[in-house]
Amino acid sequence: MEITDLPLGILREATWNPNQLDEKALEKLKQSIKRYGLVENLVVRSKDGYFEVLSGNQRLKVLDELNLQIVPCIVLELNDSEAKLLAQALNHIHGVDDLGLRAQLLREILSQIKQEEVLLVLPESSDNLTSLASIGQEELSVQLQNWQKSRLTKLSHLNFQLTSDQKKVVEEAITRFIPFARGNKSDNPTLRGQALYLLCQSYLGKE
Amino acid sequence: MDVNCAAGVMSSMVSCRDTGAGLNPSAALHNLLVCPIPRKSAARILEREHYLHSFPAGTVLCFGVMLDNRLTGAITLGAGPALAYRLVDGAEPQDCLTLTRFWLSDDLPKNAESRVLGVIFRYLKRHTDLKFLISYSDPSAGHLGIIYQATGWLYTGLSSAMPLYDLGDGRLRHGRSLNNFLGSRDQGYLKKQGIKINAIKQSAKHRYLYFLDPKWRGYLKSAVLPYPIKEGNNGNN
Repeated sequence: MEITDLPLGILREATWNPNQLDEKALEKLKQSIKRYGLVENLVVRSKDGYFEVLSGNQRLKVLDELNLQIVPCIVLELNDSEAKLLAQALNHIHGVDDLGLRAQLLREILSQIKQEEVLLVLPESSDNLTSLASIGQEELSVQLQNWQKSRLTKLSHLNFQLTSDQKKVVEEAITRFIPFARGNKSDNPTLRGQALYLLCQSYLGKE
Repeated sequence: MDVNCAAGVMSSMVSCRDTGAGLNPSAALHNLLVCPIPRKSAARILEREHYLHSFPAGTVLCFGVMLDNRLTGAITLGAGPALAYRLVDGAEPQDCLTLTRFWLSDDLPKNAESRVLGVIFRYLKRHTDLKFLISYSDPSAGHLGIIYQATGWLYTGLSSAMPLYDLGDGRLRHGRSLNNFLGSRDQGYLKKQGIKINAIKQSAKHRYLYFLDPKWRGYLKSAVLPYPIKEGNNGNN
């Protein structure tokens, strides 16, 4: 298939393209083109004196900012329905990553290229990239030991359902105990929790 | 793997794995690695592969099953039904977890499910103070809980299924969602507040328990029943 170099000025985004990319992802796409160049040709069709982009609408958005004035394109002659069908096929036929293999690949990349650079061109956030790359590397025993430890130190939640009048009474009682809670430090860092505890302790003590 | 769709274990179509020609299945079993995986990764794989296509709320532990660097399974343990711990006398909510999702690729060797559960049991016993696990299998999806039977769980019969609730918009909500959304799931109370609510009955599920700490086995309040079998099956399940 022949590749034709077309001036950026005569390329138009397909207004019917449903595929959207947010600002963050567009920035990553821009960084990727900056780093590697426009390695994939756009697919276009001629329409009303300009060329409508069937594949590469997101790339088109960032080319101007990158000062790329000549764009390699594959030019097709297609009617509206065929153009839309091809665009959908190009956008939606792709495989599914095996996350274990992807993790291995990411580890290989990260061993050679700095994480900051990798994050410039991949869609993941820093945390996601780290946790993805860790698949298969962490020990089950370590995870469970950490979980067990966090369980022991975790504060527990108690839920009650109250009418608004009942809630007012409970709130008032807890509020009255807050000064005692302030002066009565414990390993519970929440003041209201500590106040509720002291309130209950005081009630039980009176029995 | 054309498994009999045991509780939460879904037969699935996954592209053929390259495990090497003539690989000894028992050797492959020993190469299975059970490891922690991030929640997002567990959610991604379960939403795609598990028959419920959802990631359970209240998940606390996510495990992956790796073979030859491929992620070939995902398991989640979570809070499960709020009062399930009461099945065991003296138990507290933190004493148990529910096995909420268990999916392994069909390409894994025979007995992979038992092997994976065995590893999980061993590590939970060694590194946590959990006393028992609970799991459910849905007969309305054709599941009997074969994997639980094969790994020695105790069968306690069909659980009384919690209804789902419709507020008139056709969307079915869990009781916990109602608590969050309306402050209560009590139908009488909600009716008094002028809120129309329909409880939609759900089918009961087979309930299994596995004691990580055998000392607690004696405190099980529910009777242990014979394992359910497929209708028309004379016990060769």
